[in-house]
Amino acid sequence: MTLLDGPPHVIAAGAGLLADALAEQAAAVTGVTWRPPLAGTAGDLARVLADPRRQAANDLAVRRLTSARPHLTGVRRASEVLRQAEPTFLHAGPPITWERASGPMRGALVGAMLFEGYAHDEEEAVARLAGGEVRLEPCHQHAAVGPMAGVVSPSMWLYEVRDLEHGGTAYCSLNEGLGKVLRYGAYGAEVLDRLRWMDTVLGPVLSAAIELAGPIDLRNMIAQALQMGDELHNRNRAATSLMLRELAPAIADAAPGSASEVLRFIAGNDHFFLNAGMAAAKVSTDAARDIPGSSMVVAMARNGTDFGVQVSGLGGRWFTGPAGVPDGLYLGAYGPEDANPDIGDSTITETSGLGGFAMAAAPAIVRFVGGEVADAVAATRSMYEITLAEHPAYQIPGLGFRGTPTGIDVTLVARTGLLPVVNTGIAGKVAGTGQVGAGLVSPPVEAFTAALRALAENAADPSDP
Amino acid sequence: MTVGTHARRVRTHVTGAASTAVRPVLEASRRPARVLAAFPAGIYLEVRTELEPSVIAVVTGLATRLPNSVLLAGALPRVTMGDEAFVGDGTVEVGGLILRARRWWDPSPPLGAVDPAALPPSSALARRGRPGLDGNDAVELLATSCASEWLLGAVTAAEKLVGLGPGLTPSGDDVLAGLLVTLRHLGAATGCQKAVDLAGWLGAAVTFDARTRTTPISATLLHCAARGEACPEVLAVLRGLAGRRPLEAALRRLRGLGHTSGADLAQGIAIGLETVRALGGRK
Amino acid sequence: MSDAVFVRKGVYHDSVTLMRVSRALSELPGTEVAVVAMATELNLGLARDLGFELPAADPGDLLVALRGPDTATAAQELDRHLAALSAAGPGQETEQPPLTTRSAARRGGDLALVSVPGEHAFAEAMDAIESGLPVMIFSDGMPAERERLLKERADERGVLVMGPDCGTAVVGGVGLGFANVLRPGPVGLVAASGTGAQQVSCLLDQAGVGVSHVLGVGGRDLSAEVGGLSTVRALRMLDEDPATELIVLVSKPPDPEVAGRVRKVVESLRTPVVEALLGSGADLTAAAEDALRALGRPVPDWLSWDGSRPDGVRGPLVGIYSGGTLCSEAALIAGTGEFTDYGDDAYTRGRAHPMIDPTLRLEALRETPPGAVVLLDVVLGHAADPDPAAALAPAIAARHATVVVALIGTEADPQDLRRQAETLRDAGAAVFTSNARAARHAASIHRGNQS
Repeated sequence: MTLLDGPPHVIAAGAGLLADALAEQAAAVTGVTWRPPLAGTAGDLARVLADPRRQAANDLAVRRLTSARPHLTGVRRASEVLRQAEPTFLHAGPPITWERASGPMRGALVGAMLFEGYAHDEEEAVARLAGGEVRLEPCHQHAAVGPMAGVVSPSMWLYEVRDLEHGGTAYCSLNEGLGKVLRYGAYGAEVLDRLRWMDTVLGPVLSAAIELAGPIDLRNMIAQALQMGDELHNRNRAATSLMLRELAPAIADAAPGSASEVLRFIAGNDHFFLNAGMAAAKVSTDAARDIPGSSMVVAMARNGTDFGVQVSGLGGRWFTGPAGVPDGLYLGAYGPEDANPDIGDSTITETSGLGGFAMAAAPAIVRFVGGEVADAVAATRSMYEITLAEHPAYQIPGLGFRGTPTGIDVTLVARTGLLPVVNTGIAGKVAGTGQVGAGLVSPPVEAFTAALRALAENAADPSDP
Repeated sequence: MTVGTHARRVRTHVTGAASTAVRPVLEASRRPARVLAAFPAGIYLEVRTELEPSVIAVVTGLATRLPNSVLLAGALPRVTMGDEAFVGDGTVEVGGLILRARRWWDPSPPLGAVDPAALPPSSALARRGRPGLDGNDAVELLATSCASEWLLGAVTAAEKLVGLGPGLTPSGDDVLAGLLVTLRHLGAATGCQKAVDLAGWLGAAVTFDARTRTTPISATLLHCAARGEACPEVLAVLRGLAGRRPLEAALRRLRGLGHTSGADLAQGIAIGLETVRALGGRK
Repeated sequence: MSDAVFVRKGVYHDSVTLMRVSRALSELPGTEVAVVAMATELNLGLARDLGFELPAADPGDLLVALRGPDTATAAQELDRHLAALSAAGPGQETEQPPLTTRSAARRGGDLALVSVPGEHAFAEAMDAIESGLPVMIFSDGMPAERERLLKERADERGVLVMGPDCGTAVVGGVGLGFANVLRPGPVGLVAASGTGAQQVSCLLDQAGVGVSHVLGVGGRDLSAEVGGLSTVRALRMLDEDPATELIVLVSKPPDPEVAGRVRKVVESLRTPVVEALLGSGADLTAAAEDALRALGRPVPDWLSWDGSRPDGVRGPLVGIYSGGTLCSEAALIAGTGEFTDYGDDAYTRGRAHPMIDPTLRLEALRETPPGAVVLLDVVLGHAADPDPAAALAPAIAARHATVVVALIGTEADPQDLRRQAETLRDAGAAVFTSNARAARHAASIHRGNQS
């Protein structure tokens, strides 16, 4: 219909008086619940929105993100993947120094020192780390992601996930299970023993099994898991079961001697899939990187001190703010005073339209993150306000198979004041404690306003000679 | 001193939009009316007036905007058949509501100039939906008489069709309404004066005693159709025939009306279209 | 007597709505001053000027400052108002309301109406255009280069931008912004001025001639900076519209080059065009009369109501206007006097438009010197003051002055044109439905006074 053919259905943003006048004429009106943008962003917003590249760039970015076809193609030792001349550990989140690192990050780094034999005891490990003897670099800088502390050392094994659509590759460490684990900053003997077993048994067995089974379609597996009640960040039970089903015969074929202990390990950890899912999310968001003019977020990550975001049109730059303390439920006698600020690369799931963004798919865990089913539905629905698209494959049955909200747009965050909903585990703030709970966390607003400022500075503004 | 037994009702002022066809009745002095029929999405009021439309439909956004309707911005009041109402002095009073129009729409908007050679054949209209009077002799007679300019035949057929069929708007009336509106609009748009004149003759013939031959609602709609006034679904099909919008989608919406009303109107439109195509060729 | 000042984080309502709440609170017996406003720099400044001590607040927060013997009652009353405002949504608790025009457009729509504060209007308008929707920008205060950018982007998408600072439009019979209830008919308007379009369309309606559409283009459209992009598009749209038989183009003095471009387009149209160039001596009433003549319709004697005239008045001619175009038209016709447009940005920052809130104009009326000839406009229609005569009539009756009112509206307007006219006349004003005639009448009385 052309505009002048009949009474228009009007979208009214602004004065309620004008929307009321339309309703009084029995005209169809959709009211916009408009609010002013985040304080101090009006000028930057106008510049970014005026950037003639933005719309096409964002269309391309979100198309690449949602069309990625992540496949699990292998499991490799980090030393083989990251050929570093000098001793290097990867870590979660934006860059961090030992001095600024939080308790769980320090604990995990100490654990990695002991595991690699770079130090004989905790004291020596701390001294060497403080002396800068090991390079610390973000996982994201190496096409990798790691949950919680996200520490990757050369003797750890990594999932290798390839995007068969665009050709990218991403990595993520193997999941150690729950309780006292390195990624939550624990480094006791049981932690180190498990890491050694993972290096000598789990890694090689999985590697051989995947070689036998052939690439595993993670896009398909994630899509199925969403329909089985996972949101792929705090609930991975369905996805883990699906993966176990896929891998079990190959594990039995590849390593009959250790198959039962490997299978029992996988079956005992509901989050076993998380790391593969994170690598899938990483390879998908990486496909959307470096598109000039795009205001879409391609990474959100925390190192336990800072929360950082990266934006497609702004290359590898990090925009950070202080990491918040999650709000959620605590294990045993732990409480909020024991919690470390938010940590981990697992927010890559939200960046790709899963996790908190898919909360409506996972009614089973809404109590765990402190709420009712209606809250979960509301959380997912609100995320459509700050995202560019609905994922064509990742759908939520409870919302009429609507695609998950995907592709966070920095300008929409600034305009609506809505921050991404992030589901997360909570690490103890004292090094060595491990996990103390799980819940929801709000990213710091400054990370997004700083990214917006940089987009504004980079904007090609045709009306500004 | 108060007389009367009715408790005083709370009157609520509401607003909406109205067809300009009902403006004369609405702006005349206040007259009594009564509820003819009440449905979830519409109330029909019969107004004691010589003006047409004498039946006014008060509807919500969910109902078809008939050419005699007033569209309410809010919910309809709860009324039953026979309830009293008033229309005039700019308002419709029914079921405790006092309704005023804040917007007027034209139920007979001009179609603009159309090249007669570009009109599609009436087969474009006859793909889906079975009209209530499929194969009826009077309909056949109407179609052939119109296309061959045989006025007596057309009037004879039309008189047979008035009030023919069951329901609130009998099929015969819907066929005639579709025909009258099409002759008037497509005739004017293609410069075919013969079609417009035919609409005038036929309109006069069917409205002359419509009030006694069919339901009051249908009679009023025939009066509207004789003046070229129609609901948006019919107008959209005419725009489709004129090539101004996709015809298929408009036809789908038209056929969705009522039990057979949409198909009946489409049948009338098809006869009108054939007539304009036939008469337009013979200057 | 005490002050109560607090800030509600994250509570947003538009300024007109909040002004109504402020007014309701200040009318409570225990309240002397009530400021309920978003904590913008401007509003913080206003509250400080009233002597309130203010806490830190963001523009996205709601500032409440109350003064009086019983601020507690006012605070309770405020909660009641705010709760009522939040509950106003159409019962969709589980549905996420759209927070941006972009989000609303994904759910369907044909046209966006943007009336957010000016500095934020660009984002909403861009959303509409990128969603392929035409947009009416009621907001003002957008830089010309942004306007140009929006209109270029809209041209690429083939959609119309009405505005910015577009006060009125009628599309498919639906009145947007300050619009009158007009009968449907054959005249399409393209207007660079909101009140100009209202005057012309209301006179046509009075003559029994309806309009097909009124498409506003914004006062700057014909400037060299903007280049007439919306005027050209609107003209072409009306030319394509079968319901439009005659186009009336109400324009402001154009850039010569742009004028040339528009003229070429006008000459290429099949639909005849009557032009009314404001500021060139041609008045709006003459434009309406030209349109009637072009349609072969008689020109009626425009409705007016005689007022009483106090004896021995001797004073200046004062124009107290709410419509910018009406104000300059009257000033031009009168040729003398002091005219103020209270609808100008300078007077509407931080307060509602004088068509909604009569406070400033009532003050101005009270301050006119005795014996003055006062000329003012009253604009009726959607969104305007529901009963402007109620406040104006007593103020007029109280002045020892000759008051002439230009009453712009139709008989179908919600305010009831005749009742408004009669109330104003009974207060002593002479009332004209033609602003040009009102201005001539006022000027002749003023000249008579001088001689």
